[in-house]
Amino acid sequence: MSEAHASALPAPFLVALREAAPQMAISDDADDRATFGRDYTRVHEPNASLVVFPTTTTEVSHTLRLANEHGVAIVPSGGRTGLAGGALATNGEVVLSFDRMRRMDPVDVLGGTVRVQAGAVTQAVHEHCAHAGLTWPVDFASKGSSHVGGNIATNAGGVKVLRYGLTRQWVLGLEVVLASGEVLELNGALEKNNTGQDLRQLFIGSEGTLGVVTEATLKLAKLPGKLTVALFAVEDLAKVLDLFVKVKLGPFTLCAYEFFTAACLARLERHRKVRAPFAERHPYYVLVELEHADDAALETFVGETFEAGLAKDGVLAQHEGEARALWELREGISESLSATGLPHKNDIALPLAQLGSFCARFGEVFETRYPGWEICLFGHVGDGNLHVNVMKPDTMDKPTFLTKTKEADADMFALVKEHGGSVSAEHGIGLLKKHALAYTRTEAEISLMRATKRLLDPNGILNPGKIFDL
Amino acid sequence: MKILVPLKRVADPDNANKVKVNAGKLVTTGLEWKPNPFDEYAVETALRLTENGTATKTRQGEVVVVTFGPKDSETTLRAMLGTGADRAIRVDTGDDQIDGDVVARALKALVEKEKPDLVLCGKQAVDGDSGQVGQQLAEYLGWPQATFAGSIESEGDKALLVGREVDGGTIKLRVELPAVVSVDLRIVAPKSVKSVHTPATHAYPEGVRFAALMAIMAAKKKPLAEVKLADLTSDAAPKIQYLDYELPPARKAGVKVKDVTELVTRLKTEAKVV
Repeated sequence: MSEAHASALPAPFLVALREAAPQMAISDDADDRATFGRDYTRVHEPNASLVVFPTTTTEVSHTLRLANEHGVAIVPSGGRTGLAGGALATNGEVVLSFDRMRRMDPVDVLGGTVRVQAGAVTQAVHEHCAHAGLTWPVDFASKGSSHVGGNIATNAGGVKVLRYGLTRQWVLGLEVVLASGEVLELNGALEKNNTGQDLRQLFIGSEGTLGVVTEATLKLAKLPGKLTVALFAVEDLAKVLDLFVKVKLGPFTLCAYEFFTAACLARLERHRKVRAPFAERHPYYVLVELEHADDAALETFVGETFEAGLAKDGVLAQHEGEARALWELREGISESLSATGLPHKNDIALPLAQLGSFCARFGEVFETRYPGWEICLFGHVGDGNLHVNVMKPDTMDKPTFLTKTKEADADMFALVKEHGGSVSAEHGIGLLKKHALAYTRTEAEISLMRATKRLLDPNGILNPGKIFDL
Repeated sequence: MKILVPLKRVADPDNANKVKVNAGKLVTTGLEWKPNPFDEYAVETALRLTENGTATKTRQGEVVVVTFGPKDSETTLRAMLGTGADRAIRVDTGDDQIDGDVVARALKALVEKEKPDLVLCGKQAVDGDSGQVGQQLAEYLGWPQATFAGSIESEGDKALLVGREVDGGTIKLRVELPAVVSVDLRIVAPKSVKSVHTPATHAYPEGVRFAALMAIMAAKKKPLAEVKLADLTSDAAPKIQYLDYELPPARKAGVKVKDVTELVTRLKTEAKVV
């Protein structure tokens, strides 16, 4: 691949950009282009020609308007924690980084909202709102890096979806810049606004292909009260689902219901020192986080759970340090898989009623067609979301593995389709899951999406090649 | 083997509410409590010495935990009963009317009544950092002691071979039971404790065990006795008088600099670090 560079961009574009946004930082440094040209994935090498760091919506608008005029492709870039290659610049694009758009306005306590720029870091927003007793309940392992804008563009999920829903539910207003440079303010800070098509929702989850989010009015929730964290050892998947029903109907508010397999825990223990939850090994582990669980209710509930044989064992965090240690067992998995081997990642969703049947069939397919492959399963069972990680066998070389995972994916996606599931639950499509889109969306749907894209971005400058080709 | 483990609760550093000082007195209202970590290690050590590591649900001996504090400090004791201790004793006191010496003298009386083979304690509490109780108790009892234990090997439950963590290495010494041993962080490593019940090849998981849900439920039925301090020592007056407390100075707010030039200038002229 030939290395892209700013010199390959139309000279009049660069001149006009400099003139229109004289204060905006622009970098053609090779390190910057490599860093800002990629997300968390390492499948493709980045190849960006330039990185721009706007600080205002006006600068973003100038950049897009000029890019549109000169046919320059733009890749919007947030915290670069995406897992589908949605923020990858592989084709000499200009990267539009939101690293310097981090402003957070004072919290509106009465309205329960906060207005922030797209580059505000998720965790910083949490800390900013905590003083007012409020929080933006979008929460996941990469919250220390991910941007609000990126979360919105990918409609991010995470560990609290069960309790609070997706990012989509927690965005009131959006400021979006279109490919033409036109700035739209959508919905303001209104909870209720029944005045025709909700254009805001069109941009949420569009992965930067329809417009670029520059600011957002976020809806806030009350900070949760005292949380109870427990980890259960469960003997099979059917019981994981039975236990979910039991917990969901329990005398408390269920905030998280996460599971992982013995293979995940083994990888975690190989990678770093963790406090083992149980002396014995178990096939499945379930982490449960509860709000408003009073002692007496919890006692009855736990007694019934063990009596019904839903769990083999269970531990309860006695203080915040232990709660964090239990969460670490779940949240550390992704990093430990990458640190101890080469995982091939899939992020699928299934209707809960189909989960048992899917897993049984999935196990059969892998045992017969890919014997000996180590599969690390974890995820947010509570919302039907499974993270399927296939580890490269030590004896297999990387190219063979990558070829074989393509075949394995085809098998798995066919199963996902058969069970009415989705090939990408929360990671998005980006570059990496494009080939799988048709397993979940129909030809008619994809044509509609293409038509929308052409309408909003006729020159195809916004994150080209992501989600689908035109 | 019967083991007595004294433990103390300390303010949970993970909680947003911190200890405050008002007119030279500590204010502990609103604090969340947790067991002193070194005391948790002592309980874990006691459990490892009185079980077969491959079948931890059966106890081969007795572990008694004791704390000094008001009624609500029983939560800390219950938590330890949940991890496997058999019995608990609360010596009724306030949090701040006692010092290490009072505790050591009261513990002496309790030891004479309970007759354990071993007293295991943490090397220090992480709030006051006094590190006195174990040593004073050994002196009052006239028992052998080993401090800063990083490893313990039971020799037929008659004596312990203790590896003491010292600067630059380990000192091994043998103490005949009964004895007082205070433990350091490394005592909870997978192979630090060798009991007479556990196969020599067994490796424990790293660190302190979690409290099992079933055990927490069962712990509610385990005996928890209350004892009056006056019943243990006739002289409950602290010898140490705490004159004043001072919190570390609040961090000053940072400043934002305009550009690298300003940063370098201020690093030179104000911070004087370059």
